[in-house]
Amino acid sequence: MKKLLSLMLASAMALSMLTGCGGKAGEADGETDMQVSENVKIGIAQFAPHGSLDNCVEGFKQGLAEAGYVEGKNLEIDFQNAQADMANTNQIAQSMVAENVDLICAVATPMAQAAFNAAEGKIPVIYTAVTDPVAAELANEDGSGTGNATGTSDKLAVEAQLEMIRAFQPDAKKIGILYTTSEANSVSAIEEYKSLAGGYGFEIVDSGISQPADIPMAAADLAAKVDCISNLTDNTVVSSLPVLLDAANKANIPVYGSEIEQVKNGCVATEGLDYIALGKQTGAMAARVLQGEDAKTIPYETISEYSLYINSAALQTLGMNCPDDLKDKATEAE
Amino acid sequence: MALILSVLEQGFIYTILALGVYITYKILDFPDLTVDSSFPLGAAVCAVMIKAGINPYLTLPAAFAAGGIAGLATGMIHVKFKVRDLLSGIITMTMLYSVNLHIAGGQANMPIFSSENIFTLSPFADKLGEYNKVLVIFIIMLICKFLMDLYLKTKSGYLLRAVGDNDTVVTVLAKDKGIVKITGLVIANALVALAGCVMCQDQRFFEISMGTGTIVIGLASVIIGTNVFGKLSFIKTTTSVIIGSVIYKACVAVAIWLGLAAIDMKLITGALFLVILVISNFRKAGAENDQA
Repeated sequence: MKKLLSLMLASAMALSMLTGCGGKAGEADGETDMQVSENVKIGIAQFAPHGSLDNCVEGFKQGLAEAGYVEGKNLEIDFQNAQADMANTNQIAQSMVAENVDLICAVATPMAQAAFNAAEGKIPVIYTAVTDPVAAELANEDGSGTGNATGTSDKLAVEAQLEMIRAFQPDAKKIGILYTTSEANSVSAIEEYKSLAGGYGFEIVDSGISQPADIPMAAADLAAKVDCISNLTDNTVVSSLPVLLDAANKANIPVYGSEIEQVKNGCVATEGLDYIALGKQTGAMAARVLQGEDAKTIPYETISEYSLYINSAALQTLGMNCPDDLKDKATEAE
Repeated sequence: MALILSVLEQGFIYTILALGVYITYKILDFPDLTVDSSFPLGAAVCAVMIKAGINPYLTLPAAFAAGGIAGLATGMIHVKFKVRDLLSGIITMTMLYSVNLHIAGGQANMPIFSSENIFTLSPFADKLGEYNKVLVIFIIMLICKFLMDLYLKTKSGYLLRAVGDNDTVVTVLAKDKGIVKITGLVIANALVALAGCVMCQDQRFFEISMGTGTIVIGLASVIIGTNVFGKLSFIKTTTSVIIGSVIYKACVAVAIWLGLAAIDMKLITGALFLVILVISNFRKAGAENDQA
């Protein structure tokens, strides 16, 4: 066992030396003007396999690369996915702390909390896809960190979304929302929808489920009661999006998404998030921390811009059109 | 070192749970799925009490009691309403999901980062630094183990073991085997909820989904422990459960450390489980042949 260990250590060292050389070569190309002093090793811990979260990680790497930290050159990444298993989240977080990585990027709320707890302030934690960092006790009311952590929130642009739905459907009265009772982000988003809906003349009809198997019945029931459905970033519901779309199509009502990926997959439109962009923004923050800034003092950020994405084919199926005054702003999601 | 510490921390927390699973699975021969919900039940009770400013040490008996009630529910459903063992556990587990959400005030995730807990308040907190957590968990785990050892030697404890081995013995002794089963389920789930309470303070947040798959960890720990080390006469069964739990967590840690693809984790866990079961079955068959 000892021999095996030393062999592995030796090969790991050899590898890091090789990548070290690669890093220098990259700088010689003059691609980067940033001061990237040495090789860094970071951990990326993702809570669950999921399209949006995958995009976050993708964007995060791009953001780091733009700041001069290129995977395989001067950046080593230990990527782990907890498969939505809470026992795994803690062990992954602790193993990254034990490896003494320079920074942990944690994707989604439970993973961020586990990493924050395991790091105990010794290793900076950069989180992303955390809807409400204040409620998760990762940030104070003023945006600064409660500890050695900062990151980005994927808070929905509820107000913009309501405005958009009003523009698409001037006569609609009821918006249906399907959500999972175990997802904290969804519960807080529903609250926000309910408090803002009145201002746009809408009533929110919510339907809570506890597992994917509940979706077919809940979706059919909800679709029959409302004029349209608006999605949250609810992991369970988004994973079963085709079932929801099917139910909505049968009732001949549109489903609005909460991010670009859902619109690509058949929702009519969204005033929403692009998780790649969110990840990029997070990557840029991580680079600042790697260059020596104190994560605690960097306020958490929300996505800087929301954009309107539409799916013309889906609109056509329902006999709907993109309103004229939104046409210039809208981008076709494909 | 940090990795070993984390394996011991996690291992000892899940030992408390595995001791409970040991009672139902090994002693009572009762596949109790209540565990997946009584674990987060303990955590929910813990998080709410800590948020309310109650002394964190009081959360331990409170979670223990709450878990006991959950076990009582499963026991009553099984014994009084004559529902099959597997189903009665599933029924309680399903209902507890809503109960847990209610306890947590409708919140699926409740952080307690900014509050004191049993670790920050521990008398060794300043002196032991990084060893503080593992020591506190170890002490709680050891108390559970010794109390259980003592209990199994009492009259009630003997009856418990008798029900699992041969329940007619209990009837012959003019004892109600239903009551004995219920007692076992109460103690088992009380221990599971206690583990959830310690886990919640270790990770410093409650999350409704933290119970998913707990029964698998508990079963794996018990099976590894009792099948691999249970044969050694100088080791108490409860001790072998402790070792089993630590080994299981060490295996997961090694899998993560080796960088095995995350998507393969469950496959590896299942395979490990199977290998141990198969090996111990072969051993058993071998032993029987020797006797013949």
